[in-house]
Amino acid sequence: MMAPGGEVRPTHRVLHDALRALGNSDLRERAHLRDAYLDRQGITFSLSGRERPLPLDLVPRILTAEEWDHIERGVAQRIRALEMFLADVYGECAVLTDGILPRALVTTSKHFHREAHGVVPPNGVRIHVAGIDLIRDEDGEFRVLEDNLRCPSGVSYVLENRRTLGHVLPEVFAGHRVRPVDEYPQRLLDALLMSSPEAAGREPTVVVLTPGVHNSAHYEHAFLARRMGVELVEGRDLYAKDNTVWMRTTSGPKPVDVIYRRIDDDYLDPIQFRFDSVLGIPGVLNVARAGRVTLANAVGNGVADDKAVYPYVPDLVSYYLGEPAILPNVETYDLQDPDQLVHVLDRLDRMVVKPVDGSGGYGLLIGNQASDAEIAAAEARIVADPRGWIAQPVVTFSTLPTVIDGEMVPRHVDLRPFAVNDGEEVFVLPGGLTRVALPEGSLVVNSSQGGGSKDTWVLEDDDPTVTARATERIPEVRRFNRVRTSLGARAQAPSPHDERMRQQEGQQQQGGPPGDRTC
Amino acid sequence: MLSRIAEAFFWIGRYLERAEATARMLSEHHQLLVEDRSVPEGLGCAVLLDALSLPHVDVSDPHGLVHALVGGPDDPSTVAGAVAAARENARGVRDALSGDIFEALNASYLMLTTGEVIESSPGVALHEVMDRLLQVHGVVDWTMPRDEGYLFLRLGRSLERIDMTARLLAVRHDQLWPESGPVATLRSAGALSSFLRTRRPVTGDDVRAFLVLDSALPRSIRRSASDAEEAVRQLDRASNSDVSDLLREVGMLHSVLEFAVQPTSEQVEELAERAQASATRASNEVAHAFFRPAGAVVWSH
Repeated sequence: MMAPGGEVRPTHRVLHDALRALGNSDLRERAHLRDAYLDRQGITFSLSGRERPLPLDLVPRILTAEEWDHIERGVAQRIRALEMFLADVYGECAVLTDGILPRALVTTSKHFHREAHGVVPPNGVRIHVAGIDLIRDEDGEFRVLEDNLRCPSGVSYVLENRRTLGHVLPEVFAGHRVRPVDEYPQRLLDALLMSSPEAAGREPTVVVLTPGVHNSAHYEHAFLARRMGVELVEGRDLYAKDNTVWMRTTSGPKPVDVIYRRIDDDYLDPIQFRFDSVLGIPGVLNVARAGRVTLANAVGNGVADDKAVYPYVPDLVSYYLGEPAILPNVETYDLQDPDQLVHVLDRLDRMVVKPVDGSGGYGLLIGNQASDAEIAAAEARIVADPRGWIAQPVVTFSTLPTVIDGEMVPRHVDLRPFAVNDGEEVFVLPGGLTRVALPEGSLVVNSSQGGGSKDTWVLEDDDPTVTARATERIPEVRRFNRVRTSLGARAQAPSPHDERMRQQEGQQQQGGPPGDRTC
Repeated sequence: MLSRIAEAFFWIGRYLERAEATARMLSEHHQLLVEDRSVPEGLGCAVLLDALSLPHVDVSDPHGLVHALVGGPDDPSTVAGAVAAARENARGVRDALSGDIFEALNASYLMLTTGEVIESSPGVALHEVMDRLLQVHGVVDWTMPRDEGYLFLRLGRSLERIDMTARLLAVRHDQLWPESGPVATLRSAGALSSFLRTRRPVTGDDVRAFLVLDSALPRSIRRSASDAEEAVRQLDRASNSDVSDLLREVGMLHSVLEFAVQPTSEQVEELAERAQASATRASNEVAHAFFRPAGAVVWSH
């Protein structure tokens, strides 16, 4: 919001004034309203077994049309390249033969599943939904921090944050034309329908598969199922038989064509993966291999968002698409390279070290905030398993004004745009989830680590014709309504409440002292 | 049952339904105006005011719209006015109501006429108003004997529901907000989830057809007409009044909606208009049949 030197950026002037007009005590009151609203709506995620709302900051984030255009193109490009990479590693492996990245890196990835080899999705899409985490560095440039290509979560909060802010703080919207986010469920449903295998003579059946109510993102699973108008199922509601996945219903078994699953690969099919999984559907992968059901996202996507593969993604973009990556990475060290390993170990107090297959901010070491003992422990872990970790220099990413205890203070933020690939086009939802590290100075934004979020606005291009078009539509609408509502008869006939009668009734009750009344 | 009491119940049904439907429409409309700025505010407000028969009210921003439509106790086309009118009727028949009903209704009235919640955040305040009104519905459902009085209340509610759903369609959100409008229409009728389950595209035409013709949705015009017909048939059995004109009106309406064969979008709109006119006539017929039958002695001066 602020330009260097403490001035308000021109794009944020209107928002800044609206917030100023409210004042701190008003902001505090709105914060209470917001908490009550979120609690009541049950817009929650589970943290250590307790349901709680994702903290929503009252100050929205603004992205200009120009900034967004850059992000949108960059995210779509990255996903196109990663799609081609996945098709390649689960197919002919040209990228490995050509030496773009080391074969061992792929084969040692925990999420590289040989079980997925040769599973060709019906419309070629493996990354139906992606969440690409971005940060903004000191120079104001957006960089990719990590890719989430398995079960990225958080999109429901994007939609709910918009609605919540409109509810509790409508004033701040004045003077802005914000691109809507409400179309996401429809886009997702369309993409899932397009990924369906041939369903002879009927409309494809799509379901959302959830691990159950104890999962931290269960709210989101239910939200998406409801907004897409499809069933939310658990593993026990489905079974695979005769090369078909069936859903148990009151009118008998019903075939299922597309499973938008929010269960990890490991738990999806006890026949192929963890045999002790009670969440999955035995045999589902074989049905997928036979091309009779679509799993979205596909099995084995984790190899492409493995953090050890991440440093190579810009190379993959140029290898597959023949164009430079629009969004750069954050500088990253490959700890399997002995020289880089030494370099990193010498400077652990200035590094961020992450597990390659982790998510949710678990297992993270932030060197400049860690104690000596923590650094020593991390060093031992890295030396024992260099394939298991990557290191990045501590990046100071951007801050935005955030309301803490009624005061506006700077806090670090990232941005997770969500993308949906329907096989023809990669749609990037305008905005995405802005996550905020709420403790002062903290760089960890994960909601599982106590992070918050911001409503994220992408402003419409200043195009006066849009308003003009809307205005043209008006006269016709109003004329139509006038005719309809001339019908009248909205109120009761007046006789029972005739004014004179009212007066007389009143007099009746004034007569005589209390206690003497006979009526 | 006394005609006066029957009339009070009928209008309690109508006003309660109106208050709740108006609050819900207003809440969604407000959200739409706030979030989607492609439509000039004054015009965005005007379409809702027109549809609710308040074209004379002049407001220019969402905040003003909320004030105008929450309104005051004197205009029964507003939320507070409808609640006040329902309470006024309830006061007159207080002996025939359970204490719980009056209490719930009175609490809504007090909240709307003395509260200042609207000042801070309209969205949250309207939610509270709707909560209160739902509570009244719940208490009515839970404590009211299923006698004639209940049938009058139910008849009033069904006829008002037809009228309010028709008015909701008259706002035509989809013309002004092609993207977010149809969803707002559905939300205003509490019908979003039900509609999405049908898997029809969320377009203005499909949404209108759903709200007019769906057989399961409580607020669809068809369902409301069926409720109204059912109430009239039961009243017919319970009383000696001549209800033939009234029964014909609601029965015909229900049949037309029930047996409509894949109507075009124009026909759906005609059906909604016809239903609204029919509900107005039916309301008059109710008065004729039960409250002020023709031939009754009226002293005038």
